[in-house]
Amino acid sequence: MIGEFHRPGDLAGALEALADAGDEGKIIAGGTALVLMIEQGLVAPSVLISLDRVRDPMFSGVELVGRTIRIGGGETLAAVAAHPLVRQALPGLAEACRRVGNVRIRNRATLAGNLAESDYASDPPAALVAHRATCRVVSLDGERSVPVERLITGFYENALHEGEIIAEILVPVPEAGTRSTYVKYISRSSEDRPCVGVAASLRTTGGTVADIRVVVGAVAGTPQIFPDVLAAATAQAATPSTWKAVAAGYAELVEPLDDARGSAWYRTRLIDVMIRRALAEAAEKSSR
Amino acid sequence: MNQSNTARMSDARARVTGRLPFVLNERIPGMLHAALVRSPVPHAEIRSVDTEAATASPGVVAVLTAEDLAAGGEPLVFGDARQDQPVLAHDRVRYVGDPVAVVLAETRRAAIEACSLVDVDYADLPHVVDPQESVSDRAPLLHAAHGTNVLATWTLRHGDAETAMAGADRCYEDTYVSPSASHVPMEPHVALARWTGGDVEVVTSTQAPHVVKETVARALRLPGERVRVRCRNVGGAYGAKVVTTIEPVVAAAARAVGRPVRLELSRAEEFHTVCKHAARVRIRTGVRADGRIVARVVDVLWNAGAYATNSADAAGYGMVRAPGPYNVPNVSVTSTTAYTNTVPSGPFRGAMTSQLCWAYESQLDDIAADLGIDPVEIRRVNLLRDGDRYPTGEVMKDLHYDEILDAVTSGLADLPPAPPRRPGHARATGVALVIKSTQTPSRSECVLRLDADGGAELLTGSVEIGQGAHATMRTLAAQALGLPECRVSVRPPDTAVAPYDSLTASSRTTFAMGAAVEDAAARLREKLRGLAATALGTDPSRLQDAPGGFSGPDASRVTYEEILRRSGLDHCEGHGRWASTGGLNSLDADGQGSASTHWHQGGVAVEVDVERETGKVRVLRAYGASFSGRTVSPVRVSQQNNGGMIFGLGPALFEELVYEDGQIVNPNLSDYMIPSVLDMPILLGDSAIESPPGGPREPHGVGETTVPPMAPAIGNAIRAACGIRIRELPMTPERVLRTLDQEAGSQP
Repeated sequence: MIGEFHRPGDLAGALEALADAGDEGKIIAGGTALVLMIEQGLVAPSVLISLDRVRDPMFSGVELVGRTIRIGGGETLAAVAAHPLVRQALPGLAEACRRVGNVRIRNRATLAGNLAESDYASDPPAALVAHRATCRVVSLDGERSVPVERLITGFYENALHEGEIIAEILVPVPEAGTRSTYVKYISRSSEDRPCVGVAASLRTTGGTVADIRVVVGAVAGTPQIFPDVLAAATAQAATPSTWKAVAAGYAELVEPLDDARGSAWYRTRLIDVMIRRALAEAAEKSSR
Repeated sequence: MNQSNTARMSDARARVTGRLPFVLNERIPGMLHAALVRSPVPHAEIRSVDTEAATASPGVVAVLTAEDLAAGGEPLVFGDARQDQPVLAHDRVRYVGDPVAVVLAETRRAAIEACSLVDVDYADLPHVVDPQESVSDRAPLLHAAHGTNVLATWTLRHGDAETAMAGADRCYEDTYVSPSASHVPMEPHVALARWTGGDVEVVTSTQAPHVVKETVARALRLPGERVRVRCRNVGGAYGAKVVTTIEPVVAAAARAVGRPVRLELSRAEEFHTVCKHAARVRIRTGVRADGRIVARVVDVLWNAGAYATNSADAAGYGMVRAPGPYNVPNVSVTSTTAYTNTVPSGPFRGAMTSQLCWAYESQLDDIAADLGIDPVEIRRVNLLRDGDRYPTGEVMKDLHYDEILDAVTSGLADLPPAPPRRPGHARATGVALVIKSTQTPSRSECVLRLDADGGAELLTGSVEIGQGAHATMRTLAAQALGLPECRVSVRPPDTAVAPYDSLTASSRTTFAMGAAVEDAAARLREKLRGLAATALGTDPSRLQDAPGGFSGPDASRVTYEEILRRSGLDHCEGHGRWASTGGLNSLDADGQGSASTHWHQGGVAVEVDVERETGKVRVLRAYGASFSGRTVSPVRVSQQNNGGMIFGLGPALFEELVYEDGQIVNPNLSDYMIPSVLDMPILLGDSAIESPPGGPREPHGVGETTVPPMAPAIGNAIRAACGIRIRELPMTPERVLRTLDQEAGSQP
C-alpha cells in the first residue's frame, strides 16, 4: 500500500527522499509505466517520490551545449518530439518519441522515465542508442555518465544503482550530412507498442557509406546493434543492395523473442523488412 | 416528419463527456465497499479459507465466505437459466477469477488491499481449457451434479443432408475458429445493494433489470416482490451485462453485514467475469456446378466456460443461425456447448452468429472461386427470399437480401476512393451477409402515463446503454400520442414501477418494446378519447386524433391536459404489451418449428489493403446495410451500422483472450488489443433497408447486424487480394504472412 507521497522541488531533495525510502521507494515521473505496474501488482512501493515539482536546470530543457544536445530528463516525450533542435538534428529521436503510445501518454511520459523503465517494447531507446546518447545519472554520491547502449542490460533491467536518478540525456550532434530515421512497425492496434523498431542513422559521401548506425528495438531484452555488420557496410555503395546486406546480417544475428506482438520467426522476417526500409528512408533523406 | 428523426440524441454531448448519471456514479449513504478475492488457479478444491488477517486489516468491516452467506446451511448459487454458479465458491473453484470471498471495508482501497491477506488453501485439480478436450471421457469433470462437461447439444435436421451431399457436384469441408474475446465496456460492472427490512434494492449496470431481479430472488431464496432492481444510464455493455454476474454477491453481502454495499469491478476483473463464446465450426457444403448449394452440414462446438449463464440456449440460437441467409434444401446442424475451466461465456454483440458467419461466408467465397463464379453472383443464386423455407421449416417473409447485397456493393463502389495503393501492397474488396434470429419467446411491457400538465412519462425496463433505446421509445410514444418529443420523458428502469421486459439485447428493444410503447399509446389514447367524449357529451367515435388531443365534429379542439382536468384526474395510464410465442424451446427434436418472430438481416462490403511483406491488413473502406423495417431514427440506424462495423474490426483483426496454463495472459488494455481510432476505416457508409410501403412496417433493431459480416468480408477481401484464406481469428499480420508463405511454397 502506498503510504507516503513526496514531491521534492529539486533533484537533491528527490535523491534524499529516495535514499530515505530505500527498497520501499519508487520514483514516479509521468507515471505511464509505473502506474500500470502497480495496477498489475508487478511492483508494490510504499513510498512514491514524484518528480513533477522538480525545478532543476539539469532535469529540464532542451539546448545545444557545444556540439551536444542536452535534454533534461524530465522533458516529456511530446516536448522532445516537438523541439526544433531535436527535429532538425535528431529526426530519428523525434520520430521515435512521436510514435510512442498516443498523445495522452506522450504528454505525461518523460524521456528519463522511459529509459529508467527499460521496457524492451519501447521506441526511444533504440533511437538514443543510434544517436550515441549518454545519460547523466545523479546520486547522493555524485554523478556519472552511462551510454544508453550500456544502460539497458536486459528485460526491465538496467545499470542504474540504487539511489540513482537519470538527470539528463546528452546526444552528440551528428556530423554534417548525417540523416537519422526511426521506423516503427506495429502488428496490432495502432496505439500498441512496437513489434519491431528500427533506428538508423546514415552519412554518405560520394555515393558510399561513410557512417552507418542501425539499432533494432523491441525484439530482444536490449536494443540490438551489430558493429561487425555495420563495419562491413561502411565504404560500400549507398545502394539498396547494401541495405539488404545489413538487413540480412541483422536478421541472422538477432535472437528475437516471442510475445503477443509476434513470434521470433515473424520478428526475424520483420527485422529484415524494416531495416531495409529504414536505411532506404535515411538514404533518401541524406541524398536530398 | 418529426424533426428529431434526423437529430442526434439530445443528451449525446452529456453522455460522451460523462456528465449523465451512470450507475458508476451511484452512491448510498453508509455503504461499504466490496472487493472480491478471486481464485488464482483454474481448478481446485478449496481446503480452507483463512480470513483472520484480512479482517484485522485497517478499514475492513467483514470478510465473508460462502459459509457466511449460506442460507439454511446451503451455499448460495445463481444463474439466469441454470443455477450452477456459486455466489462465492464453497467446495471448489472452476476458473482463474472465480470469487472465493468478499471483503467489505469503509473504503474501496481498504477492501482491495485486504484481499491479498485472505489465505485460501487450494488443492489443485486437473483443468481443461479447450472444449474439444473437455468433451472427452478423460477430461476433468467441472460439475459433478451435471454428470458431463457437455452443457447442451442441439440438432437440426432438414431434408437429407448426407444423401444430397453425396449427390452434389462438389463438396467442401473446412474448420473455422473464433477465440474468446472481451466486451470492454467503458463502464465496468458495478452494483449496489441496500436492505430495508426483508426487502432489497439493487442498483446495477445491467441490460436486463427484470432478469437480475428474478435471479437475485432465486439465489437469495426470496419471493420476487422482495427484490427491486434499478438501473441508470449504462456506460456500455455489448452483451456483457445481459447475464447476472455480481448482483447476487452484492445483495447477499449487504444482507450478511447489515449495511449497504457497493462493488465496482476493476478492468482486470472485467476480463475475468464474462466473455465471448469461443467456437470451432466444422462446415461441409455440397454444391451443384452452377453454384447452387444443395446440402450443408455444420458442426459447432462452443466454449461455455466454467458456468452455464445462458450458454445452453445460446447454443440453440447458434444452431438456428448456422445455415446462413441461403435457401438450402438439405441441412444438418449439431451445436454443442461444453464447460471448461475458463471465464463464463455470455452474449457478445453478434452473439452466436459471428462465429458461424465467419465460417459460412468465408467458405462461400472459396466455393465461388473454385467454381469460377463471382462472389456476389453465387450469393444471388442462393439467397433466401420471401416464401422460401428456412431450415427450421418456417416460411420466410419480409426478406431483403437482394436489396442488402445491392446496397453494400454499390454503396462501397460509390464511396470516394481510398488513397492510392503503394508498391508491395495488394487491394481488393470482399462482401458478407448475415442472418440472425431474435430471442424468442420474449415479452415487453410498459406503462405510458399522461400527467395533469399534459406531458407523458414512459415506465420501461428497457435500458439506455448509449444505443438510443430511450430516445427511440420517446420518438415512438410522441408520434403515437401526437405530442412533441420534449413532452415525453423516460424514467430510468426500475422494476418497482416498470412492468416486465425480457432484456435489452438480441437487437429486440426497438421492435419489442417499440411495439409495447405503441400499444400503450393506443390504449392511452382510447382511454382519453372515452374521457373526452364524456366531458364533451359526445360519442367517442366522433372524436378525431389531433396533436396532443382530439378534435370534435364542430372542429373544436380538446387537449389531453383539458381532458384530465375536466375529468378530475391527475393522470391517466396506458399499459402496453408485446409478447412472442414459439421460439427455441418449441422446436421439435429435429429443430423444426417457428424459431424466431423475425430475422435480423444485414451485410457489409469492405475494401482492404494487404501489405505483402508484413501481412498487415488495413480496412480502407467499409459499407454496411441492415434491415430496419420502419426506420425510427435514420441517424441512430446509421450510427449502429457504422458502430457495428467498427466494433467488428476488433475480433476480426486484433482481439483474443489468450490462455496459458488456464490463466488469461492478457487481461489488461496494454496486452488485449481493441481497435484505436487510427484503425478505423478511412471511409464508412451505410444504408437502412426498409419494408415496402403498404404491408406491416415494424421498426427493427439494427444494433448487431453489421458486426458478424465484418470478419468474413475482410477475409474474403484478403483472399481476393492475395489468394489466401485465413480460417482462424484474429487475422493477425503474422497469420497472414505465414499463409502467404505457405501459398507461395505450395506453388510449383
